[in-house]
Amino acid sequence: MPPKVDPTKCDGCQGESEPLCEQVCPGNLMTLHKETMKAIIRDKSDCWDCMTCTKACPRQAIQTVLQYQLAYFPGKLIPLVGTNSVTWTSIDCHGRVERFVMKTLVSGDDEDED
Amino acid sequence: MAERVYIDADVLILGGGTSGCIAAWEARQAGGDDLKIVILEKAFIRHSGCLSAGMNALNMYINQGTPEDYVSYVRYDICGAPIREDIILSVAGEVNDTVKLMESAGLPMKKKEDGRYLNRGKWNIEVNGSLLKPVTASKAFEAGAEIYNRVYITELIIKDGACVGAVGFGVRDGKFYICRGKVTLLCTGGAAGLWRPNNRRDAHHRIWYFPFNCGSAYAMCKRAGAEMTSFEMRLVPIRTKDTFSPTGTMSIGMGAPMVNALGEEFMEKDPYYVSWGGHTAPTPIRMLAFQRETLAHRGPIYLDTTKGDPAKVTGLKGQYLDMSPCIVLYWGCNDIDPSKEPIEIDGGDPYLVGAHAGMSGAWTKGITRETTVQRLYVSGDALGAAPSRFISGSWTCGRIAARHMVKALKENNYQFADIEDDLCDTLEDRTFGPLKRYQEKSAEGLWSDGTLMSGITHKDMESRMQKIMEEYCGGRTHWYFVNETYLGIARKQISRMRQDQLQYLCARDLHELQLSWDVINRLDVCQLVIEHMSYRKETRFPGYVNRTDYPEPDPEFDCFVNSVWDRKTDEVRCFKVPYEQVVPGDRKKQSI
Repeated sequence: MPPKVDPTKCDGCQGESEPLCEQVCPGNLMTLHKETMKAIIRDKSDCWDCMTCTKACPRQAIQTVLQYQLAYFPGKLIPLVGTNSVTWTSIDCHGRVERFVMKTLVSGDDEDED
Repeated sequence: MAERVYIDADVLILGGGTSGCIAAWEARQAGGDDLKIVILEKAFIRHSGCLSAGMNALNMYINQGTPEDYVSYVRYDICGAPIREDIILSVAGEVNDTVKLMESAGLPMKKKEDGRYLNRGKWNIEVNGSLLKPVTASKAFEAGAEIYNRVYITELIIKDGACVGAVGFGVRDGKFYICRGKVTLLCTGGAAGLWRPNNRRDAHHRIWYFPFNCGSAYAMCKRAGAEMTSFEMRLVPIRTKDTFSPTGTMSIGMGAPMVNALGEEFMEKDPYYVSWGGHTAPTPIRMLAFQRETLAHRGPIYLDTTKGDPAKVTGLKGQYLDMSPCIVLYWGCNDIDPSKEPIEIDGGDPYLVGAHAGMSGAWTKGITRETTVQRLYVSGDALGAAPSRFISGSWTCGRIAARHMVKALKENNYQFADIEDDLCDTLEDRTFGPLKRYQEKSAEGLWSDGTLMSGITHKDMESRMQKIMEEYCGGRTHWYFVNETYLGIARKQISRMRQDQLQYLCARDLHELQLSWDVINRLDVCQLVIEHMSYRKETRFPGYVNRTDYPEPDPEFDCFVNSVWDRKTDEVRCFKVPYEQVVPGDRKKQSI
């Protein structure tokens, strides 16, 4: 389920030493394209689908898409990260929407820690 | 020569994962303010490793009974086979305290009306764990540990039989890191990617275990001459088909039984499975049942979510979003509704893990977590012969290891070792070998597609290794069957790769250098697996390793199989180590 980056939304995290998706990827897979200055995945087949990049993107530019060999087009799953929760929107191939709000932290204290 | 970074630590922690972060915290409690604690992490500590997608339950918690009852359960769950009961007991004694600690760090626990943690089956508790990794990492920050992200450790530094540090390279900065530790904790996880995964091409990493864990802890321990244990006791998973998401959420959480294509609950029908406990039979036996049912042409096999607790099915998607969100997307894309139809399951590629339902790892002295190499400690998946510790047990093991490390530090007054320039140079050459080779070999010519005329990529090597392991060392497509002849071929081919072919392994950049080291480490683990499987001439864990030439358990092998690698001959010498039963009772029954 590799991350796909929408170039109209991604700004390469200007001002950061490296884009947030590149900072967080456990597989060292996200990087900045030298010419377009947009985030890309080095090798889409190496992704584990943890969705860390998708959740970390400050511009919601990343969508995690299942490999077509596994799943039909065009279902979507969109996380929106809040302070103490994530709101997930699932849209199936027929456009049916389901929403889930999942608690992530008891308090937001350690959210800013780095 | 690369730019060098020198780091000295009283407590050097390799791997900022489940164990490493909590070990740092405990080392601070036990060692005081002046202790210098360093963590080296190959990714980014807040979001790295097995916990990166989150987790919806902690599978080790003493909800009922005593720590001894937990030992009895773990022993039963791997067919009454030998386990280090002393180690499991030490974890079970303080795991509940660790969970309380993590709750106070911000982990949202699900609770019952009476305020107690919400249990899932006998030994699990449910959590909202999508941020389990940042919460875990917060304990390392709280401890004031010095954290280096994106440093890939390649080798331990061994002097006079003791571990005195480690070296590695900066994945981003390309620097050579030389780290000295008075004591060192190695906790870089287990090993995925030795066998060929079910999904191919762009989905080849859609596997259960974290694909970036390449067994570096096992490989580095082996190369350091540490005594290793139980590499024949691999984990063969049954998971949801295609996405290989965990199944406990359905099987334990809502009591969904395994059924075959005829709708039969075969675990409760076949007297052999019933004798092992039916639905809750030991993990390898459930795997065996899946294999037998499929081979008897009664597949596909499902977890029947329509027969489980209907109240639980509504919360199923939410629970998976906390741990394996891709299955929710998969269900949406493929019109699958778990309340209306059963969920198909499949056998996946085997893994080497020490803390889940497998027990490969380094052998340790008593409950200290110190390996047979002095001053080298292991925890998490790197710790052998003590299965079913999972996340909460790995946190706890990190704490126990840290306390023993601090104690040893004080008692022995360990000092930093002098590391000669020659040794640093040798280790640097070795660390950057594939990168350097690329530069040398690219001068020898490139094909028209830009690939080296005289070099091999990490991808090519990984494919070759996975093909050998799949076909000769009991992969999924061979139904996990092996015999001595197959293993002999695997031994010959993996030896050839290790001894002769690694000289051609080339890396274009630092990312490829990381992947090249993943292959080097995996090949070392393959060697351990083949030799251990070959030595255990019986079938003790059916479903995990099916030896067609020795299909029954043999009382002669009612023991651990341990090994030591000989650097000079490149031989892995296996030997038997007796099992000691600490907790009395029938080994093939749960006490509660």
